[in-house]
Amino acid sequence: MKMQHLKQIFTFRFSIKHGALLLGFSMLFFNACVDDNNIDEVFEATPYQIEIPFGFPTKLNIPENNPMTVEGVELGRYLFYDGRLSGRNHPDSLMSCATCHRQERAFEAGVDHPDFPGGFPHGLTGLPTHHVMLPMINLVWNHSGYGWNGFLYPNNPEENLRNIEDFVRLTVMAKDEIDGDTLQTREMIQSIPGYPELFKKAFGSDKVTFVNIGKAIAQFVRTLISANSKFDKYMRGEVQLSQSELNGYVLFTTEEGADCFHCHGGFGNPLFTTHLFYNNGKDTEFTDPMDRFQISKDPMDHGAYKATTLRNIEVQGPYMHDGRFATLEEVIDFYSHDLKDSPYINPLMHHINDGGILLTPTEKEDLLNFIKTLRDDDFMTNPDFGKPGKFPDEK
Amino acid sequence: MKKLKSITILLIAGFLLASSCNKDNPQPVDNTARLTLSFYHLVDSLPIDFDTMKYVNAAGNPYLVSEIQYFISDVTLHNTDGTYHLLDAWEDIHYVDTDLYETFKYVLKDSILPGTYDSLIFTFGISEEKNQSLMFVNPPESNMFWPEYLGGGYHYLKLNGKWKDTEDIIHPYNFHMGIGQIYDPESDEITGFVQNYFKVKFHYNLEIEPGDTIFIPIDVHVDQWFENPHVFDFNVWGGDIMQKQDAMQVAKENGHNVFQKSMIIGD
Repeated sequence: MKMQHLKQIFTFRFSIKHGALLLGFSMLFFNACVDDNNIDEVFEATPYQIEIPFGFPTKLNIPENNPMTVEGVELGRYLFYDGRLSGRNHPDSLMSCATCHRQERAFEAGVDHPDFPGGFPHGLTGLPTHHVMLPMINLVWNHSGYGWNGFLYPNNPEENLRNIEDFVRLTVMAKDEIDGDTLQTREMIQSIPGYPELFKKAFGSDKVTFVNIGKAIAQFVRTLISANSKFDKYMRGEVQLSQSELNGYVLFTTEEGADCFHCHGGFGNPLFTTHLFYNNGKDTEFTDPMDRFQISKDPMDHGAYKATTLRNIEVQGPYMHDGRFATLEEVIDFYSHDLKDSPYINPLMHHINDGGILLTPTEKEDLLNFIKTLRDDDFMTNPDFGKPGKFPDEK
Repeated sequence: MKKLKSITILLIAGFLLASSCNKDNPQPVDNTARLTLSFYHLVDSLPIDFDTMKYVNAAGNPYLVSEIQYFISDVTLHNTDGTYHLLDAWEDIHYVDTDLYETFKYVLKDSILPGTYDSLIFTFGISEEKNQSLMFVNPPESNMFWPEYLGGGYHYLKLNGKWKDTEDIIHPYNFHMGIGQIYDPESDEITGFVQNYFKVKFHYNLEIEPGDTIFIPIDVHVDQWFENPHVFDFNVWGGDIMQKQDAMQVAKENGHNVFQKSMIIGD
């Protein structure tokens, strides 16, 4: 009996001890399985949701390491407009993104820019930019490369040349733009009262880093969405186009008309660009060291550049990568009868041997009237995209 | 005994919990098979040398090929007993783009029941029922949209390149297929639309076993768009055809010979 009792006690002790161990072991497995419940206290900002407009792509180009947050966008807006992004505070040395990217010009310079005659920007040192500007419209849907030649693209082996974040860094450093350095800019922003708190809210630390400056500005730029033009309303069945605009729409989307849609989109591609690169017949000789060929190394990409979005194109300018045309009328004239053939011309330019699409004056007017339906005044006046009333140190 | 019971319960509970997240846990046996189509783009039975004016079509037009983009849909396996299996998940409309290597392989999402199949049929392009505008909102597929005015939906095919005319002048061509239009000869207004998609059929003797993964290579003979049964002469039709139903009809009838089967590979 005694032995049996001892055995029972031993068994009991064994069972309690090992059962507990086994249970604990099992719980470890279980916890490993649901490790989302095991997160240490971490910083969390408020997620910023991008609403997808009617007909727009659902795939967004937002890097995994820079999720959109309300706080990040707010900070980015301040930085986008703050001339001290140059790292200097002398009135003659201020420069920010908004110095060139003007909201009223769809975040392009525009031919009427007060400091850049004809819309040809130059940097703080007076050095002109290599190409004229591209607008900042719906860039969160650009997956095929930023810049006229697409040199910043998501799967670039050069990890620091992939997205808008990198554009911010390059802009600050470029001789023909801010001509600054990232350390100087970081220290300047750190020294401005109010900014460290905004960085704390957006990124969890009041220590300003240039990486986070780039991230914040990129987040703000990704909110710049234009999707409420007259054509958008037509797509949604809210308004009707005029007869001239409809005639222009037919020209825009027919191969035997002006055939714009293959590169510039339409109802089925409301970005109004494929974001791809084409030699569109501007020249016969190609010496630009920053054309698409320099990136793709495909010989057929000599003289090829990004097809720009036609959204809000009416308020932009000058046009083409080198700004050779000041008005849309000049652009339409070019496509109508001034195309130049070369071995590199894109096959989609199938009217090349006629010199262009040979539009009549009425057709040119109709096409222009349709293109003007892509103007989105809400985009150009949206206060969320505009200059903040006060900068952080003015509050 | 009670204690033994407790231990047993704890052990079972522990193992249950532990195994609940074991990704290596044996899955139920899958008795179905899988199908992958691979597309090989050829001119004169050889891989295409893009952007090189080295080819001559059946009409004697020298030409080059720059890029090819097209849709394949409604892949169906026909059984020897008369039944058929439509691999019909909505996303099983496949886009092929010669600039995007990853699109050359079409891994069908639907599984296949084992059995003996004697043919495979697919649609070149997209059927009228499925070819709806804004069905694809993301690129590259969205870049294939076919204008509403011309019938809407999507291009079935974009074959772009250049050809040389009888005076040695080089012209671009955009051999694009999609919904065709009927124009009133007087007013030039569109009075109707024509569906130009077509079915391609391959005869096989496919014995598919459970767990098989079948790879079906398909040769895409680009030169056949211009050759068989109709000789397509660029000097007659010009370089752009999406508003020329007669030319698209020629393309449609020639298209049956563009796709040819190669040797099947199974695992």
